[in-house]
Amino acid sequence: MVKRTALLALLAAVLVFPAVFTLPFPRHVMIMIFLYGSLAVAWNILAGYCGQISLGHAVFFGIGAYTSTLLVARAGLTPWAGMAAGAALAVVFSQAVAFPVFRLRGHYFAIATIAVGEIVQTLVINWDWAGGARGVFVPIKRPDSLWNFQFHESKALYYYVALGLLLLGLAVTRWLERSRHGYYFRAVREDQQAAASLGVNVAREKHRAIAVSAGLTALGGTFYAQYIFFIDPESVLSLSLSILICLVAVLGGVGTLWGPVVGAAVLVPLSEYTRVWLGGTGRALDVVIYGALIMVIAVLQPAGLVGLAARLGRGRRG
Amino acid sequence: MSQTLAIVLASVLALPALAAAQPREVVLGVVYPMSGPAAQAGVDNKAVFELAAEIANGATDLPFPFYQRLKGMPGLKGAKVRLIFADHQGKPDVGQAEAERLITQEKVTALVGSWHSAVTATMSQAAERHGVPFLNPESSSPGLTRRGFKWFFRTSPHDEHFTQVMFDFFRDFEKKRGVKLKTLGLTYEDTLFGADSGKVMKDLAKKHGYEVVLDIQYRARATSLQSEVQRLKGANPDVWMPTSYQTDAILFTRTMKELDFNPKMIMTQDAGHISPDFIAAVGKDAEGTMSRAPFSTDLIEKRPVARALNVLYSKRAGKDLYDFPARAFTGMMTLLDAINRAGSTAPDAIQKALIATSIPGEQLIMTWDGVKFDETGQNTLVKGIILQLLGGKYHTVYPFDVATKDVLYPIPAWKDRK
Repeated sequence: MVKRTALLALLAAVLVFPAVFTLPFPRHVMIMIFLYGSLAVAWNILAGYCGQISLGHAVFFGIGAYTSTLLVARAGLTPWAGMAAGAALAVVFSQAVAFPVFRLRGHYFAIATIAVGEIVQTLVINWDWAGGARGVFVPIKRPDSLWNFQFHESKALYYYVALGLLLLGLAVTRWLERSRHGYYFRAVREDQQAAASLGVNVAREKHRAIAVSAGLTALGGTFYAQYIFFIDPESVLSLSLSILICLVAVLGGVGTLWGPVVGAAVLVPLSEYTRVWLGGTGRALDVVIYGALIMVIAVLQPAGLVGLAARLGRGRRG
Repeated sequence: MSQTLAIVLASVLALPALAAAQPREVVLGVVYPMSGPAAQAGVDNKAVFELAAEIANGATDLPFPFYQRLKGMPGLKGAKVRLIFADHQGKPDVGQAEAERLITQEKVTALVGSWHSAVTATMSQAAERHGVPFLNPESSSPGLTRRGFKWFFRTSPHDEHFTQVMFDFFRDFEKKRGVKLKTLGLTYEDTLFGADSGKVMKDLAKKHGYEVVLDIQYRARATSLQSEVQRLKGANPDVWMPTSYQTDAILFTRTMKELDFNPKMIMTQDAGHISPDFIAAVGKDAEGTMSRAPFSTDLIEKRPVARALNVLYSKRAGKDLYDFPARAFTGMMTLLDAINRAGSTAPDAIQKALIATSIPGEQLIMTWDGVKFDETGQNTLVKGIILQLLGGKYHTVYPFDVATKDVLYPIPAWKDRK
């Protein structure tokens, strides 16, 4: 009961935030928390619940970003159609690569996902029609319109769309947690052989997990493209993005509902405000502080920030 | 008292814009990579930007008329220039966020940045949206000034200018030495860099009446370039024009020597052929190789403005002025000059002043003809230079009036080298 009231209060606070903070930068920080939170939530479905650590999730993000942007720039479609198409394409792509890649386990699976990511990035760099290494601009359309998914005057609508993406990811995760498949996922994570011996179709459950994860990640890609209006292979398909998605979830707490959100809520402001505070010195001190804090958390609390909170909670009760 | 009144009266009459309230400060947002792989560019530029601000604030003296006129920002009656530096980490989304933060929270008058073409693209979108002038001193993607933006100004040459200078050189060199260069052989690698370069070279060859006798797009990071060099040898063009990154450039030079291919002139697209590793690996065998460039350190001694600035810069940065800070300084001074002439920090007054910019070439540290923007915001008076590798070092050989060495032509055949 207390928990539910706290959650409702948090949701209300998040909903009125744009009315209180009208400057673009605080809103931008919140939008980035929602975006990276939703990406980490999507990643967490495959890696946290099903135990398949992917370091190639930028591919799905990139598919979402490129599909909608190319449909907008070359065919004049609304980005919302592109968003649906991007998510569908990401699901199809995830199923195709999953066949060979899921034959590998543990570290080998993770390495294979890195390889997939690098291959896709290289292909796009050399693909002229998609802008190659030069990237693609989303054609700017004024005035603001929901249909065109472009808001130049105020970030409030971006804010709510990003929040919607995060809530969608959380709802899917919550539903999975309680559904049969959620139990199958966790069984696969704990022990594939044991799960199979109990009648779980391991291959099919893994395919399910990556399909949901890929689709949700692609939605974030389209959002990014419509928010920044420019994408290139380096910003939407790079390994560093894949690792960042993973880092957010791991720092917050893998395999928990709220872990990825907590991770994003800590990491994003940390990175943004240390950069604003120290970035201009040219000594990269902000990056040092950012890295050091991640190390401290990882060493002191391997179960992530959510694990730390749970431990403190237990301590109080005991 | 009456004297003060007279000055105030005179300036009011001279500049009607001054009737508005006088700003005490001119705050400029300067956004560069300060961390990540390109951080050196941002760090080296920071020192030169600080110098530029000190010159405008009268704290540092650069004794040349253009800079003297700016001293103390007389157009704004001594308003102080303050720079806010920010780091975009080479990421387009960070650049956009920083631009928005600087505009809305720090209330900057204008933005300067940002090295990477991709980041310049998103930052200038934010500036355009807010109606704030954006000065770009160095990004070289030609498309940046083709977006129909009203607040975007670029002082530097872009990729097409750089290839143009090669053809200007051919024309002037033929006239000067009385030789005829008719045929070109193009080899370019198959990533974006090579593909773009190949296209521009072919377009310009056609426009200027040169015959392309060989046109090869080769596989980047090739393990063998034997067949490419054989075909070059067979076609024997008057000028060989390769576009390569470092490893390919080195392999080309080694293969040329092995197969006894003797081009009389080699004109390269910067990148691999100008990298320190290329010079270290095959510098001796690559004697006479030429390349386009925007600026060269050996020009400092020849240009009084550059020499004076280099004395200040090297003391602060611990190294000589080179391409990046040289272009950064030129961009910043152009903006400061416009703000001073605008006599105000109002965005549209500065935009108007930027459009009216006219800086004579001899006041610049660059070898350009000056600074003057066209309607797209591109400086039309830019000029690249041509360097030649002579005795293990690149020297400026063109434009002839700023050259530090004469062109070595033809490049001696392998059998005639010691």
